[in-house]
Amino acid sequence: MARGFQRGRRGIRAKFDAHEKSLLAHLFVEVYELLDAHDGPGEQDPLAVMVGIGTAVDTPADPALARLLPDGHRDDPQASADFRRYTELGLRDRKRAGLEAARVSLGREGALVLDDDEARAWAVALTDVRLVLAERMGLRTEQDHDRLLEQAEGDDEGVSVMLSLYDFLTWLQETLVAALVAPLRDLPED
Amino acid sequence: MDAVVTSPVELDEPRSGLDQALTPPWVTLVWNDPVNLMSYVSYVFRSYFGYPEAKADKLMLDVHEKGRAAVSHGSREEMERDVEALQGYGLWATMRKDD
Repeated sequence: MARGFQRGRRGIRAKFDAHEKSLLAHLFVEVYELLDAHDGPGEQDPLAVMVGIGTAVDTPADPALARLLPDGHRDDPQASADFRRYTELGLRDRKRAGLEAARVSLGREGALVLDDDEARAWAVALTDVRLVLAERMGLRTEQDHDRLLEQAEGDDEGVSVMLSLYDFLTWLQETLVAALVAPLRDLPED
Repeated sequence: MDAVVTSPVELDEPRSGLDQALTPPWVTLVWNDPVNLMSYVSYVFRSYFGYPEAKADKLMLDVHEKGRAAVSHGSREEMERDVEALQGYGLWATMRKDD
């Protein structure tokens, strides 16, 4: 049974059993691969890629991917397309790097101990996984969670599994954010 | 007499120019979603913008209760940077001209 994140003297630590570790690693890989798929039109220009300019201008067709890489402007498709050309490649790279860092840290022996950089990567990775799970379950408004809970308590086993996984990740992220924020409490406010 | 009549108009001119310079024309918006945790959204505002806890919490509550909040103001280039960073954290951020 997992023990949530807590800040100690040597870092931010949590404890997972082997099953939980492999489940988390699996989810990080799933979202990594979702972000890895090229769905921009045509060939990538290697020089443009080098300076972070991609060819993707359209909102991703997969709504889960579209939630990870949203439009930059709500009412201006042209401006959104321009913004996406200059930012989407970098966003995908950074999200993948964070998911990979989180997955790699799970491979260590014993209790998981994270430094603050790793903990920040974990917080974003958990967010990205939860965003994808939520979209797949149809959790798009505040009311959807209650509706899904009713479905799960009925006999929808698929929803039941996804929702308990989602709630586990939510709990885990709450403990992580509390651990990340803890030292900020001591800073004087200006 | 003529000189007196025209002076208020001339006084207004430079002030409206100054107002324009002081009111940056772009804004970054963060939209509510049912996934992002309130504690996480507030944490992001504190760690990315360096906002004090009270300001970060107020903006987070605005997002949660009003559906969105304007979290930063500045030039278009500055807002593009903020939107990209906030999207990197998984927040639903967009920008628009501030009118």
